[in-house]
Amino acid sequence: MVRTTVVGTYPRIGETSEEQALRRGIARLDRGEIVEAELQAIERDTVRQVLREQNEIGIDLVTDGQISWYDSQSHFAGKLTSVETNGLVRYFDTNTYYRQPVVHGAVAWKAPVLADDWKFAQANSKVPVKAVLTGPVTLASLALDKHYRSKKALALDLATAVGEEVGSLVQAGASNVQIDEPILTRYPGDLTLVSEALERIRSHKARSTLTLFTFFGDVAAIYKDLGDAPADILGLDLVQGSATWPVLAKHGSTKPLVLGLIDARNTREEDPAAIAKKALELKGAVDLKASYLSPSNGLEFLPRDRARRKLQILRTAAQKAGVGA
Amino acid sequence: MNALLTTSVGSFPKPEYLTRARTKASKGELSPDGLRTLEEKATSEWIRFQEEIGIDILVDGEQYRGDMATYFAENIDGTEISGLVRSYGNRYYKKPIIVDELRRRGPISVDWFTFAQAQTKRPVKGMITGPYTMMDWSFDEYYGSRADACFAFAKLLHDEAVALEAAGAKVVQVDEPALSTRFDELPLLVKAVGIVTKGLKAKTVLHTCYGNYNEIFDYFNKLPVDQLDLEMSNSGLDLLDRFKREPLKKEIAFGVVDVHSHVIEPESLIRERIEKALTIFSPSKLLIDPDCGLKTRSVDEARIKLRNMVAAAHAVRTAHGLT
Ligand SMILES: [Zn+2]
Repeated sequence: MVRTTVVGTYPRIGETSEEQALRRGIARLDRGEIVEAELQAIERDTVRQVLREQNEIGIDLVTDGQISWYDSQSHFAGKLTSVETNGLVRYFDTNTYYRQPVVHGAVAWKAPVLADDWKFAQANSKVPVKAVLTGPVTLASLALDKHYRSKKALALDLATAVGEEVGSLVQAGASNVQIDEPILTRYPGDLTLVSEALERIRSHKARSTLTLFTFFGDVAAIYKDLGDAPADILGLDLVQGSATWPVLAKHGSTKPLVLGLIDARNTREEDPAAIAKKALELKGAVDLKASYLSPSNGLEFLPRDRARRKLQILRTAAQKAGVGA
Repeated sequence: MNALLTTSVGSFPKPEYLTRARTKASKGELSPDGLRTLEEKATSEWIRFQEEIGIDILVDGEQYRGDMATYFAENIDGTEISGLVRSYGNRYYKKPIIVDELRRRGPISVDWFTFAQAQTKRPVKGMITGPYTMMDWSFDEYYGSRADACFAFAKLLHDEAVALEAAGAKVVQVDEPALSTRFDELPLLVKAVGIVTKGLKAKTVLHTCYGNYNEIFDYFNKLPVDQLDLEMSNSGLDLLDRFKREPLKKEIAFGVVDVHSHVIEPESLIRERIEKALTIFSPSKLLIDPDCGLKTRSVDEARIKLRNMVAAAHAVRTAHGLT
């Protein structure tokens, strides 16, 4: 049986009234009807729901769905020294938007951002909760840099900050940490910088397992070098990034993989048997027992009911793959 | 007069009575006819307001729409509507799902155009959600190819554009907020918009927003429309230098008011923006409007922003002797 995991985000709201509590809560906070602490309680109820759904379906390694994140960029970067957040910018090729971090001076880590949320999530999950962070090179690429005038310099300082954050998560008990670098699917040439940045993060990981995840496209051009990046596990989007598949099938991987074979950006349902068959094509080339099956990226681009359905397909596919493994 | 004409991008905020009515209607506590009456009331109010402040080319304000893609999809065969998906912050929308061959079952926005145009002698824009945006914002369980889905939308949206023209639309606007989503697909967008606008005698406009304009600049003159409507106050004022070097061979509707900010731009600031635009574009080819639809603002904010915009445009006209 191949294990299953998710990439990060989970839909915050669904169609039922109970599943829309967070949306109502934020609207009430905006109107001044509740205070921040009350909203946080609602957020945590939502995190419990999200964990319950993943636990019930039987996902082996879950996340808190990044429910408290405004977006993938400003949630962490916005809390660093010398960073403010500005107007909305389109997030890659999605129809979602992030508040753009604006860097005015040397960035530095101030205090843990994610550790409390992680502890809460782990206390409410039957299985390990993966801590997920946006990687420094993606953060640097999507920010507005008014200080460094050098993506590399900014990325490396951000890497130091992400490293501190990883250290605080590991101290809180996280045994699985994932760094997302979707920017590699757009600028494969950034791999050298990603690796250099990961070195700074790796020194804080202690005994935790460090995953490097790329999504929103393929990494075919850099696949062979990606294996040398200082991470324990590599996560790959094999749907939008289907061009990675032939190189992966040909060269295999010395590191365990997260195989993002379930389309997390379209509602069309995959045949679990076909997904299992595809995963098993890697038998012998990849250590499938140490690897995971997953959606191709975070699930927040799907409605909640469809996201659940995708996770059921994922789970069934993993079980079917187990029969042949 | 034909200088510095003022217009709007499309949507206006819904008055509270309409927002409440929509909630009721979604729960089945208000009949479709009851809702329609209030949508018409709100539309008439916005038409009157635009006339009162002196806007030259009007919009119907899209009081009957939730989301621009979903509204079109609901009126096209071969689609279903998904559950809620997040856009940003606390904003969610329902996405179309293509489940079968796409077919136009009848007029989509023509009735509302006709209703709005009947209330004013000034031109009202006919509004079409563009084929590329319809494709990009839909889930696809049928075509399996982005190009095929996009062209299927383009063909039926052409029929809609022809119907708007036949109903009297002098201006037809194609909204493509998704234009800058994937640069490698810009040729697809140009082709698809070309299918929509082919053979139209009405003035054609393409609106887009949130763009990395530098990446798409080379396509501006290739877009098969007469006028480009761009968000300039929020992200694009830097773009002017580039227009100076590489002139636009079309009319431009120049966004001078940020639609995502509660901050009300004073008339003086808007005047400065218009003056800057005038250093590049001739007044007969320059229209003045907000960056994008104003639906995310409150009714009061939208009204003040529009009032200041029109006042600024009129002041600049006077200053340049364009009246
Ligand atoms: Zn717009």
